[in-house]
Amino acid sequence: MRKLFVTLSLLIALSMVFAACAPQPAAEPETITVVETQIVEVEKVVEVEVEPEAPVGPKIARLGLLGPGDIPTLDPALASDTSSVQIIMETHPGLIRQHEETNAIDPGMAESWDVVNNDDGTATYTFNLRQDVPWVRYDGFEVVQVTDEEGNVRMVNANDFEYGIKRMLDPATASDYAYVSVFALAGSGPFNAGEVETADDVMVKAVDDFTLEITFNDAAVYNIAIAGMWIHSATPQWIIEERGDRWTEPGFHQGYGPYAVKEWVHDSYIVLTENPFWPGTDSIPKPKIQEVYLPFLDAIPAFAEYEAGNLDLAAVPLDDLDRVKADPVLSEELNINPVQCTYYYGFNTLKEHVSDVRVRRALSYAVDRQSLIDNVTKGGQEPAQWFSRPGLFGAPTAEKYPDLGIGYDPEAATAELQSYLDENGLTVADLDLTLMFNTSSGHQKIAEAIQQMWKDVLGVDVKLSNQEWKVYLVTIQEDAPQIWRLGWCSDYAHANNFIKEVFGSGGHEASATNIESEEMDAILAQAAMESDPDKAMELYAQAEQIMIYDIAEIIPIYFYTGVGVTKPYVDRTFGVGGQQYLEKWDITK
Amino acid sequence: MGRYIARRLLYMIAVLLVVSIITFGLMHAVPGGPFDKEKPLPEEILANLNAKYNLDAPLWKQYILYMYDVTIPQFSTQEPTSALADDALLIFNVGSVWVRWMNFGPSYASRSRTVNDIFRDQLPVSFQLGVMALLVGLLIGMPLGVLAGLKQNTIFDYFGMGIAIIGVSVPVIVAGPLLIWIFGVALKWLPPTGWGAKPPYLLGFLPETGLTWEFFKYAIMPSVALGTGTSAVIARLTRASLLQTTREDYIRTARSKGLSERVVIGRHALKNSLIPVVTILGPLFAALVTGTFVTELVFGIPGMGKYFVTSITNRDYPVIMGTILLYAIFLVVANLVVDLTYAFLDPRIRFD
Repeated sequence: MRKLFVTLSLLIALSMVFAACAPQPAAEPETITVVETQIVEVEKVVEVEVEPEAPVGPKIARLGLLGPGDIPTLDPALASDTSSVQIIMETHPGLIRQHEETNAIDPGMAESWDVVNNDDGTATYTFNLRQDVPWVRYDGFEVVQVTDEEGNVRMVNANDFEYGIKRMLDPATASDYAYVSVFALAGSGPFNAGEVETADDVMVKAVDDFTLEITFNDAAVYNIAIAGMWIHSATPQWIIEERGDRWTEPGFHQGYGPYAVKEWVHDSYIVLTENPFWPGTDSIPKPKIQEVYLPFLDAIPAFAEYEAGNLDLAAVPLDDLDRVKADPVLSEELNINPVQCTYYYGFNTLKEHVSDVRVRRALSYAVDRQSLIDNVTKGGQEPAQWFSRPGLFGAPTAEKYPDLGIGYDPEAATAELQSYLDENGLTVADLDLTLMFNTSSGHQKIAEAIQQMWKDVLGVDVKLSNQEWKVYLVTIQEDAPQIWRLGWCSDYAHANNFIKEVFGSGGHEASATNIESEEMDAILAQAAMESDPDKAMELYAQAEQIMIYDIAEIIPIYFYTGVGVTKPYVDRTFGVGGQQYLEKWDITK
Repeated sequence: MGRYIARRLLYMIAVLLVVSIITFGLMHAVPGGPFDKEKPLPEEILANLNAKYNLDAPLWKQYILYMYDVTIPQFSTQEPTSALADDALLIFNVGSVWVRWMNFGPSYASRSRTVNDIFRDQLPVSFQLGVMALLVGLLIGMPLGVLAGLKQNTIFDYFGMGIAIIGVSVPVIVAGPLLIWIFGVALKWLPPTGWGAKPPYLLGFLPETGLTWEFFKYAIMPSVALGTGTSAVIARLTRASLLQTTREDYIRTARSKGLSERVVIGRHALKNSLIPVVTILGPLFAALVTGTFVTELVFGIPGMGKYFVTSITNRDYPVIMGTILLYAIFLVVANLVVDLTYAFLDPRIRFD
């Protein structure tokens, strides 16, 4: 027996030689500080009425905001997912700051800006940057200002923005989201496609230290929202040139926003700490919470941590939702808030049967969205009759356009289908339809419910089929099935990001639906320039009516909500764009 | 013996080569690529990404380049930079010459990390958990199995095997949340999720803080959840093997010689009955220490297991190659060690 253990331990030792010989990861911070909070209890006899005592020591929030798995990146140029962008919003705020609840355009790193519409149709934005924001980094003990070779503090200036934008567009950087820039920023396309060697033609220019000039292809209203996206944030050239893609690792990472990255233990958690050098502005105040701990947890373990009192906020797993609603304490802590995403089914209009608009409308009319939400998704989602999520600039709202698009209407559904069947001499049994979605129990439940609705209302048997995510993505791009599923979330809060970018001609999913409308494109082009909110909404409502009813290329199903629980002592706001502005939050206990 | 090991090592290299070719071929044959996203990327952007990661080269060339980076040591007189391309699992210097060996490439999903980083940071966690789970499995499984085998058809047997069947039938995905709810949420004795060690690791794989309560309090629930399933397998196998061995001729001979029951069982039966148990210990060890997906997800443990699954769903090619090769290496080495222990357990086995 002993020899067995000797061999076993030998094996253990051998296999670890790899790891043992490996150098310390270059990315580790030189020192790790453990912040110990000492709470000192003092007994006092006070005669007057006492205000609740101010908490002693730093305020720490522990938030289950991020999903399982490591954050993909902290590099503004490379981020494409909500977790990465969440952190970047705090470390590298953009030129403007969209209000997290109203989507209003507030000043960010730019204090003000001027717009000149040029004769050639382009528009030049001149941003006047804040002059009081230094670059900072966490040195292992505290947040310190970054200095240059001569010891001067490096202030965030227009050159850092110009560098950040041009680096993001550089084909060598291979940024996913560069495409948003490419369609908006003048001169950026050829550089990003590698057609020209230098970024000289990209119309982004630091006029002086704190004046940045950006020229956009069109005089579109949403230019300002695009300018404020994370991909257009400033990045620190000196550290990127020294460290390459590793510049975002703890120890190297430099930012300037209200929070700095204190610790990033890959696959475990990230800790943000207050940046004391952030000046604090109306739209991005100084943080009230000194430290934010964000673990990377799956929904079920995160919810367990919340119930154990170790997290101040968590998402509610669908299976726990009924219990939470029934629980006297948890139901008080439950929050359901809008999120800027839309869940929908699309049609491949080249396929049999669904090539006829009446079949598409019939299927759309037959979906009882409210019943689906009440019985299947349960998260207080909002039934969707069109695609652009209300709350975005220009997106129609249910109050103003209650009858827009297509909602549940069984009579209209049967009438549309009957007309198609009669014309072609078919019966419902002849309809051979398939709905495809990517493999997931959530999508499965929704698909089964809608399958049943189609059966009940129209008498149509629709087959269900599913594919693994990446296989599915290729399928719908190359040869989409009759009916397919997708969702869309906003990059910037303007209806253009939804209807034009996804279903306008050449849009992301245009090759899956295979249908276009010149009339819709014309309205969208006009709507992009419309700065009056009501007029813009009217134009987008017209476009939606074409897309959802006239050509019926998709079935809008519901608008997303976030379903979470938050402890009562967390004073928070709810971000609709998928990100939370933590600097506005407070802990009151 | 030495020649046998040398021969086996050569076989191992051949096996790993075949594994790498099959994995590489399969992962590129599956539809969908790393940059197929819900928001489809325009062609120019895809071209930039493919160029950055050499995915625009012919497949055979990509394979050769990958194997070159993994197997051939690189020498340089300059100290390697922190750039991703300059990373390697082994970096050391002999005088003024820097050697970099075994670069498993970048991760497409984590854009500031390499597969080497994942090995350095996540493998030790999985290793710590795997070893503890295996120990739990052995400590519960072996005694249960021996007891059940010796006292066949008694209350000990039924009790032990009953436990084993429960252990096999209750997967971690059920046992984990149950344990978390009881000990983490209701009783608050143990932290529900997380891990008590983080990089850098002592000797590359031990928690830097040492094996303290701060470390173990995180490890108890996942080790038990993972270990009980393992113990059930071990217990059943031990029992079956022991039952068979006690019916062997040499046991009857030992008994007829008049040896005491203790010696018969302790020296002759038990040792021989271990062979099947040791046989499964090899693959079991390799599977446990390279990471277990469900356990890590349920308990929020930053180990390797997740990467075996997410790398495939993300089509993160270098991570797929890295995790599969890592597992293959552990498996072939563990099997070699198992084969070598046979000679000790059964004197009839010789290697020449």
